[in-house]
Amino acid sequence: MLEIWYLIILNPILNVLVALSHILAGEFGLAIIALTVIVRLASWPLNKRQLKSTKALQDLQPKMQELQKKHGKNQQKLQQEMMKLYKEAGVNPLGCLWPMLVQFPIWIALYQSIMRALATTPENLLALHRHLYSWEVVRNAIPLSSRFLWLDLGSPDPYFILAIVVGGTMWVQQKMTQAPSADPRQQSTARMMTLMMPLMFGILTLMFPSGLALFWAVSNIIGIVTQYFVTGGWGYLKISSPFQSTAPTGK
Amino acid sequence: MKRIKISFLIAAVLLTSLTASCIPGQGQPASGWSGTAFRDGVIFVGTGDGRVIAINATSREEQWPNPYSFATEGSGGLACGPATVADAIYTTPVVNGGSVYVGTYSGQMHALSTATGARRWSYPENGNIGAVVGSPVVADETIYISTSDGRVYALYIGNGDVRWQDRLEWESEPLADKLWTSPTVIDDTLYVCTFDGHIYALSAETGELLDWAFELEAGFASSPVIYEETVYVGSFDNNLYAIGIGADEHRWRFQGGKWFWAAPLVHDGIVYAGSLDGRLYLVDAETGGKLGEFDAGSPIVSSPVIMDDLLIVADQSGDVYVFDLSSALQDRAMPLMSVQLDAKVESTFCVSEGLAYIRAEGKLYVVDVEKGWVAWELSLTAEE
Repeated sequence: MLEIWYLIILNPILNVLVALSHILAGEFGLAIIALTVIVRLASWPLNKRQLKSTKALQDLQPKMQELQKKHGKNQQKLQQEMMKLYKEAGVNPLGCLWPMLVQFPIWIALYQSIMRALATTPENLLALHRHLYSWEVVRNAIPLSSRFLWLDLGSPDPYFILAIVVGGTMWVQQKMTQAPSADPRQQSTARMMTLMMPLMFGILTLMFPSGLALFWAVSNIIGIVTQYFVTGGWGYLKISSPFQSTAPTGK
Repeated sequence: MKRIKISFLIAAVLLTSLTASCIPGQGQPASGWSGTAFRDGVIFVGTGDGRVIAINATSREEQWPNPYSFATEGSGGLACGPATVADAIYTTPVVNGGSVYVGTYSGQMHALSTATGARRWSYPENGNIGAVVGSPVVADETIYISTSDGRVYALYIGNGDVRWQDRLEWESEPLADKLWTSPTVIDDTLYVCTFDGHIYALSAETGELLDWAFELEAGFASSPVIYEETVYVGSFDNNLYAIGIGADEHRWRFQGGKWFWAAPLVHDGIVYAGSLDGRLYLVDAETGGKLGEFDAGSPIVSSPVIMDDLLIVADQSGDVYVFDLSSALQDRAMPLMSVQLDAKVESTFCVSEGLAYIRAEGKLYVVDVEKGWVAWELSLTAEE
């Protein structure tokens, strides 16, 4: 099973990453950025579907809030009406979840590739040869330099800049899609999640090699840009209260 | 309600910190692969738990009552690991006079008494230089160390004082991103091969860069070996190179299937080079022509060693092969015998009087290369 994982997913990503590093003047940081963009482009059909589902759910929010006001005290009735609304609008509430799950193995492989390519210990460098193709461009790239801008990509960012960028961009991305709810309890939970995820990733950035944090930051920024263009604006980023507006703001 | 939310947030943050600190996401940890050294009936070896020990080869017992234990700050975070952990030792101990010298991954060089194991000096005494991975070399009362900060240090073996004070200005440019291979000293000149494909020649006296340097597109994987004014070195581009000292172009290159990680051995005009493709190659030192090969079936990580007319090669899976160097050239790549150890061999090893002293993972194996069996073995793990 592990061999299949290496053969089909990990090794191709790892070798492309190493080759990109050689092509981009030996800058592994640029290779991480380039590969993140490539993976994002390759998974664009899935992302687009996910964003469309998110947009469709956003468009349903005014009607959803009406239903919550109307049947707020009867949860069973509210669930039934909501499902009816989804069906009429042709929206699957889990539609934005599946594309994300499908992409998950690719993100894991990307993480593993970055860690393996950096080979921070002698053991890791020695083990790297097992995963490399005999391409000349790959052979000439090894071992990679872990220096990029102010970062040692194999160690956490000592200046906390990446932690702030990762946490901040994740907060913006989440805020753009976090639909307000008329139910104060749901609203409270949503707010907590919007705060907690960026906070957690910010902390993880302080603990993991900055190569991985760079990947998170670039991935978040691409996510924000594509979300902006596909959903047509900043979404719910500008809305501070669910009762101020019921629809996402445009550009 | 607000208080509950804040408590929940704090708990989540703490939980994230604790979990993240335990995730083995950084790949294999640095655990070391120190080789063995033999002098006057005593085997010196670095262990996986940060000690250097001396084993009496006759009694098979540890010679020092309290071996010095090297430790470094733990990186296990809030939840995992103690405040200090055993320092990894990749260097093979170097014995000279009454001292044994060893470098550690935390970035210190130590001199210990061969008689008692007591620490004589450490460099730096406080703080660290870059991680020491390549084994140090001793020449002319000086020990030369290449480190992960890309610099080469020269210390007086007697007291650990810096010999090249001028070269140690921190603003001076390092030779490379990091140096994980050993330097080689020949005739007052130090040769250093780097991961970014350079060979530098430095004055052993002053540390000054000499006029000649060599550049290759691929990085050098092995430590350099010098034989008759030629540098023989393995590369990450799967080639073994022969480069004449002072030349701008390589004399020849020989292509293997994978990296030449272990330093080659040159003897009587033949280069014996183990590759990570699992083969031992016999190459003409003058022309680079292949004279023979032996497929061990597992990567060859440690350098071959010669004892009298025997060549001893160990592969990563733990097979030790003995070749007869007095045999006809066409038969030389056929092993006389092999011995199977039940552990991985990634360290350099030494030989003396018919015995090979091989550290394989957490054990020391003493292989009788003439009889073809394991004479005795010893666990290198500290007894509680």
